Amino acid sequence: MPTVQIKDEARIGTEAKIKLEPSAYLEKLFKTGTPDLGWMNEHGEWGIRAKPGNLGLRLKDIEIGSYGVIPKHGGEHCSMAPRGSFVPNDLPSLGFTLNEKAECWADNAMELYEEAVARQWSSARDIPWDELKPLPDDLERAMCQLCTFLTEVEFIAADAPTRWMSKINQDFLEVKLFLATQAMDEARHTDVFRKRALANGGGLGKASKLSELSLKRIFDSPSFSAQTARLHLLGEGFVLTMFRQGEFIAPSRVDQEIFRRCMQDESRHVGYGTMHLRAQLKERPDLAEEIHEQLDDAETILLQLFSVPESVEPMAILLGGGIKNFDKGMELQGNLWRRIVNEYLQRCDSAGLDRRPRCLLPTDFSKLFNATA
Amino acid sequence: MTSFPAPEWFLALGRMMAAEGEVFRRLGYAEVRFVVRVLDDDGKLEAATAVEIDGYALTNAFKLDGKPFDADFAICAPRAVWAEMLEEIAREGRATLRHTLSSLALVGEHLWLESDDQLREDKFYRYNQTLQELFNLSARLPH
Repeated sequence: MPTVQIKDEARIGTEAKIKLEPSAYLEKLFKTGTPDLGWMNEHGEWGIRAKPGNLGLRLKDIEIGSYGVIPKHGGEHCSMAPRGSFVPNDLPSLGFTLNEKAECWADNAMELYEEAVARQWSSARDIPWDELKPLPDDLERAMCQLCTFLTEVEFIAADAPTRWMSKINQDFLEVKLFLATQAMDEARHTDVFRKRALANGGGLGKASKLSELSLKRIFDSPSFSAQTARLHLLGEGFVLTMFRQGEFIAPSRVDQEIFRRCMQDESRHVGYGTMHLRAQLKERPDLAEEIHEQLDDAETILLQLFSVPESVEPMAILLGGGIKNFDKGMELQGNLWRRIVNEYLQRCDSAGLDRRPRCLLPTDFSKLFNATA
Repeated sequence: MTSFPAPEWFLALGRMMAAEGEVFRRLGYAEVRFVVRVLDDDGKLEAATAVEIDGYALTNAFKLDGKPFDADFAICAPRAVWAEMLEEIAREGRATLRHTLSSLALVGEHLWLESDDQLREDKFYRYNQTLQELFNLSARLPH
């Protein structure tokens, strides 16, 4: 059999600082030629035959036998040892801090992970960039400002949850897998809105101090569930409606495709957040007050965000079809604001959080200035 | 010739969906059950069809004659709104700006969604491209 040629093979290890002794096992193996095979008797549940469904072999198809049992408490070893495997003693701990199922779990995490993998798309391949046509200056400026805002806010939904991802006990791997897809989705959203801003004669617009403040608060959330409330329930729910608006206001098929595809991704993130909070609040109803406090602050910042021209006016211009129809655009924005608030409160209901009496968001957009006064 | 919103009309779309396998595979699978409701000029229910998509296939469509059906959401619109959207699809090959399902549902005046649970209603958005491509296939039905 031909051997692999390795460059300067004779020099390898000649200056190594550490001398490694072969293990007793390897010495024995090379002396006797007899394999140990003890590992064959150290395993998890054996004889498992997962069967693929009509959509292939999905995570839910392998949740069988003992492998289908999600523990209430994550393994105390806090290592990356796969759930259900034979776990040796004295594994080095990775120091996970989210070790309770309720702290991160959502019953739809597996489903959303598989769906995310199946519904990935490419901003380079799947957007018909060739169809992009010059727009009137006011529309292009408004679209570019909107894209600037979205480029600014989207990646927080990757950066923030992944800070916690490494703290989640590996026994809840389904949640970590889902969060990884969310990070990938947000990477694509960041790239597609940046590309759109730079693809049609415009460029990036103005970054926002208030957006940055809301992102920082998400980033600094004191717990994963608190972050989920701020990020998934309010923030991403809000952006989901913006994506839907984006599909509606799209001045071209390029913009329509971008927003529609992002909308699909965002719905999964909102779905995870809602279900996680439902599970968490069921397990620990006492957390409702902490979640309410987080949402008090997040709603306040959202209201402030919608009190500056660079947030309000681009949407109104796009909704109205130009500056000349600004009033019409503001009227449409008012209708959509009601939808944002309605869907947000319905998601809170679905999560088991009675937010209605405490909600700071007025249902009437024209009352925003009263709410922030 | 079958016409919207008869179950046979949706089943015909389902057959085209199967024939266009690669388009729908590229979009990714969908698992959703929904109702299409058509209202008359007075807002009264004229017809309702239950539709199921499982993976890359439209697996079932039937008339809802009081039969139990656990739908994720219902898409509701007066007949004239449905007709306008489908005529545009027939003419252009797909729903164009502001006449897509999502655009029409956004303002909620012409076409709206109904569901008991926002989480299940959100499937309309999760699978929106698939739903839109399904309706766009009606451009190829004989008119």
